[in-house]
Amino acid sequence: MTQGTDDLIRRLAHSGAQVRPLASPSRRTLFWLAVSLPYVAAIVLLMSPRPGLIEKLSELRFQVEQLAALATAVSAAMASFCAIVPGRPRWPLLIPLLPLAVWLGSLGQGCIETWLAYGAEGLRLRPDLICFPAIAMVGAVPAAAMVVMLRRGAPLYPRATIALGALAAAALGNFGLRLFHTQDASLMVLVWQFGSVALMSALASRAGRRLINWQATVRKLGIPKTGGESTTYG
Amino acid sequence: MRAVSNRSGIDAVDRDRLDELMRSAQAGDSVAYARLLAAIAPLIRRTIRRQRQLMPAADVEDIVQETLLSVHAVRATYDANRPFLPWLMAILRNRMVDGTRRYARLSAHEIAVDPLPETFADEDTNTMVERHDRAAVVRRAVRDLPKRQRVAVEMLKLQELSLKEAASASGMSISALKVAVHRGMKGLRARLRGEA
Repeated sequence: MTQGTDDLIRRLAHSGAQVRPLASPSRRTLFWLAVSLPYVAAIVLLMSPRPGLIEKLSELRFQVEQLAALATAVSAAMASFCAIVPGRPRWPLLIPLLPLAVWLGSLGQGCIETWLAYGAEGLRLRPDLICFPAIAMVGAVPAAAMVVMLRRGAPLYPRATIALGALAAAALGNFGLRLFHTQDASLMVLVWQFGSVALMSALASRAGRRLINWQATVRKLGIPKTGGESTTYG
Repeated sequence: MRAVSNRSGIDAVDRDRLDELMRSAQAGDSVAYARLLAAIAPLIRRTIRRQRQLMPAADVEDIVQETLLSVHAVRATYDANRPFLPWLMAILRNRMVDGTRRYARLSAHEIAVDPLPETFADEDTNTMVERHDRAAVVRRAVRDLPKRQRVAVEMLKLQELSLKEAASASGMSISALKVAVHRGMKGLRARLRGEA
């Protein structure tokens, strides 16, 4: 039975060329940002920055929400890059919850303040369906770069890894969206923008096992298992 | 004095040796890599046996091979500044979960049955069928084929790879694979008739 394994070891050793070790998750996050941010900036310029952007940037609530979105993107990217390295602790996967809570808290506080000032009338929800495709457009290149980078790692937790990667891309997409889309009502941002980010992350999680899995990772090698009754790929 | 063994049965000296071998393997040292794989295979096997005591030996070996292939596929993720064993064990745990899930799924669809009785008492009426059914006879016949035909038959007929996948794995062209598998199957038929 172990004869087949010995044959496999010989073949693996024979094809064990030098490999460039993967950079640390923090360096990979920087690289991902270096690829993604110029694209987001280009889209913002292409769509024309919103009128009065400079004044808006000086508002505390806008600053908090934009910084929280950016921090969510960075921490989720870092967490997803940690998730594909075997032997690393799993707690960094929870770090994005902190900026996410700040982001959600700020939006929630905005909703409460609007309700206190204008009552139920102030919380009327209107359709703003452009948010989902706009966030998808701004987050497209960050998402593609993320998938390419995640595929170089070990698919230990496919669903969580892809959900975090999608959260990173969508949060960055939302960060860019708010620089050209004039929608600041907290409830609208909460439902249509934050909701889109959450939905994208949830949908991506469903596709996690298709995007990264051991079968595809091992099949790329072109080395089948050997011996015994089984002669199939992992 | 040797350090105290940990749960994996590997002491500190061996752990350091594995770290060193993995670093050399990443640098392209195929001898070190062969030593590393040969050293971790029994460790992987032992760990699976300890944690999946009821799993048949063939399935254990299946997970051993899957783990080795996984180690090979993601060896770039090993950080030379970190210990090797936790890295290996994380992959092994992950592959064991996959393997156990697959084993449970297959077992759920399999029903143990008693061997079917022969339809006729006369030995001659059953000889050919029985021989052809025996996997060992077929395996021997495949093994005796010329190398290129054997590779083509194994990849295309037994592993059910696509022509493109088999070409990439074997280094043969698609047309060469088609010719080889045709000749291989013809040869197999002739050999099995001869056995009968």
